[in-house]
Amino acid sequence: MPDSPSTLSGRRRLRQGRDRLATALVTAGGIGAIVALLAIGLFLAVEVMPLFWSSEATETVSQRALWLPREGADGAVQYRWDPTATLPTEDVARVSLVPLAWGTLEAAAWALLIAIPLALGAAAHSALFMSTRLRSRVKPTLELMEALPGVVIGFIAGLVLAPWVDRHLADVLTLLILLVPGLLLASGLRSCLPPRLQQAIPLSWAGLWLLPWLLLILAAAHGLSPWLEAWVFGGDLHRWLEVRLGLDITVRNAMIVGMAMGFAVMPSVYALAEDALSGVPRSLAEGAQALGATRWQTLWRVVLPAASPGILSAVMIGAGRAVGETMIVLMASGNAALMTWNPLDGLRSLAATIAIELPEAGPESLHYRLLLLAALLLFVFTFLVNTLAEWVRSRLRRRYRRLGSGR
Amino acid sequence: MSALLRRCLASWLLLMSLGSLRADAEDVVGTLDAMGSDTMAGLMLRWGQALTRQHPGIRLQLQASGSASAPPALAAGTTRLGPMSRPMNEAERQAFIERHGYPPRELVVARDALVVVVHRHNPLESLGRRELDALFSDSRRCGARKEIRQWRQLGHDRPEGRIRLHGRNAASGTHGLFRHIALCDGFFRPEVNEHPGSAAVVAAVTEDPRAIGYAGLNHLTPGVKALARRDAEGKRHFPDPDAVQHGDYALSRDLYLYINLPPGDSLPAAEQAFFNLVLSPVGQAIVEELGFVPLPEVRRVSQRRELALDELDS
Repeated sequence: MPDSPSTLSGRRRLRQGRDRLATALVTAGGIGAIVALLAIGLFLAVEVMPLFWSSEATETVSQRALWLPREGADGAVQYRWDPTATLPTEDVARVSLVPLAWGTLEAAAWALLIAIPLALGAAAHSALFMSTRLRSRVKPTLELMEALPGVVIGFIAGLVLAPWVDRHLADVLTLLILLVPGLLLASGLRSCLPPRLQQAIPLSWAGLWLLPWLLLILAAAHGLSPWLEAWVFGGDLHRWLEVRLGLDITVRNAMIVGMAMGFAVMPSVYALAEDALSGVPRSLAEGAQALGATRWQTLWRVVLPAASPGILSAVMIGAGRAVGETMIVLMASGNAALMTWNPLDGLRSLAATIAIELPEAGPESLHYRLLLLAALLLFVFTFLVNTLAEWVRSRLRRRYRRLGSGR
Repeated sequence: MSALLRRCLASWLLLMSLGSLRADAEDVVGTLDAMGSDTMAGLMLRWGQALTRQHPGIRLQLQASGSASAPPALAAGTTRLGPMSRPMNEAERQAFIERHGYPPRELVVARDALVVVVHRHNPLESLGRRELDALFSDSRRCGARKEIRQWRQLGHDRPEGRIRLHGRNAASGTHGLFRHIALCDGFFRPEVNEHPGSAAVVAAVTEDPRAIGYAGLNHLTPGVKALARRDAEGKRHFPDPDAVQHGDYALSRDLYLYINLPPGDSLPAAEQAFFNLVLSPVGQAIVEELGFVPLPEVRRVSQRRELALDELDS
């Protein structure tokens, strides 16, 4: 049945109206997001202002106290955060934000150090080498890990993992030493297998081959650690580290935070990187291999560069989350505002400090403003990370646009 | 059949209305809201439950966001009860007086103490004033000459190595009280791990033989050992109820409830019922049940008299 012209134009008008409504909604949403972002920044800036201008604040909290070290009793350089102390006249206020910023960056760095190799390795393997069937199972499972709330991860890390690692420090150390060479050896051993067996375990099922080896390495680490501890570390690793190297060891330390947060950050980095890698046109990789490139050369020289904008944004999203993550650091780090390079010592991040101190800081008090300054600093950190990521990404994208579909 | 049903319904309705009439006549109705200390949260909740059992018309609504939140809420009139684990400071009191022209009414409702805990297998039994300061502080205002970092400095070989320190987060009342009494208002060492709750401190010490921590008395578990405090003459004071009640154990404190009561006025009915319970043997038994220490009898009775609460009423 043919439509009459009037119903046709009516329908078109309806569609146009819907179009316009959708456009308006999208625009409003976009503008709203930008306005909210600016408003938050502005609110923080305005609330922090009195810290720099009111005479009452500047007398007790000088700019020196905020950013520069104070001299300790023994002449050593100190940065201290202890803002609730009643401020005695002879002492400088301990309100340095430097150890908190340090803690934030240190925690994020350890998390990324653990998350990025794992996530990118997993992404490369599942995007390029895994069979489609296996990949369709593995990818959602890994992405499901992202749904784990930070509180749960922090709780497990702080209350279960941290004491366990402290009790079995030698095991963990031995495992770290054995893991990479052991897995490389295992991969190498595969090529020593008779060809029939090799075909039975194709590269797409490499996990099946590595899993028993991984268990073997775990068992070996557990078995070897008492020997290692007895021979190399004089029977007690804790003591050796503390006495010989002068390292302080705390139960809740930067390493634990790195592991827990690395675990939390990994799924999102993996998901984005995997999308980027599988988005690289097959023709590129096939072309490279047809020209005689090995798998490794194809991955390293062709696919990775082509996917680099996506991978970089994946890493940066991970970095942004690691910098802003609160609960994991709060529960797994011990919140000691230290500044050390030692991964076995505690740290304290900006976000965790805000979370545990803001509820009891009196409104409009000096402490409250200091915490808002910490929030502003955190805001600036994440803003910088994201801006940098966007800038590098757009440059890379321009450079690799000629490749493939311009992704 | 339907007549029977109707009669049943009618008599039931009658009973209901009679019941509510009776409640109206005898009982106070209303919602008491409280805002303040999280240390006292469990205590307030239990008192609230007991109160509702006595007077079904009253509900206690609690927001436990920290002692510091009580004074502004009381001054602004957004809460009727202000539980605090420390006394109001001068600035908070002044802010209230500016608003209302009279100071808030302060009531001491229970005693509490901070305990210094170690792992249950740790041989350490007691700590002196200066030792505790030398452990936790880097300013050492109480007069210790050297800071204590290793277990052997405390005269024991068994837990070896560094002492690991645990405490509450800055801004909690517990942290402030410990700073005031144990550190002589000095500074904490940055190495002290700051936990968001006393239970977390106790958990951390439970699993680590080399740890020392401080926590609220009511969080003591069998997994940790509370240390005695040595006074200047070397006499040990364990944090037992008697020592806490009378202040022989130095790390003890009062727990407060603040209310907005103009001088000369008598308590509103709901508050009267509440304090009648809190300052009764039943209310103080709840205090003891939750691991705090009840008020000394003299103090309980004198506060009842001040509020003009009838002793027989409880």
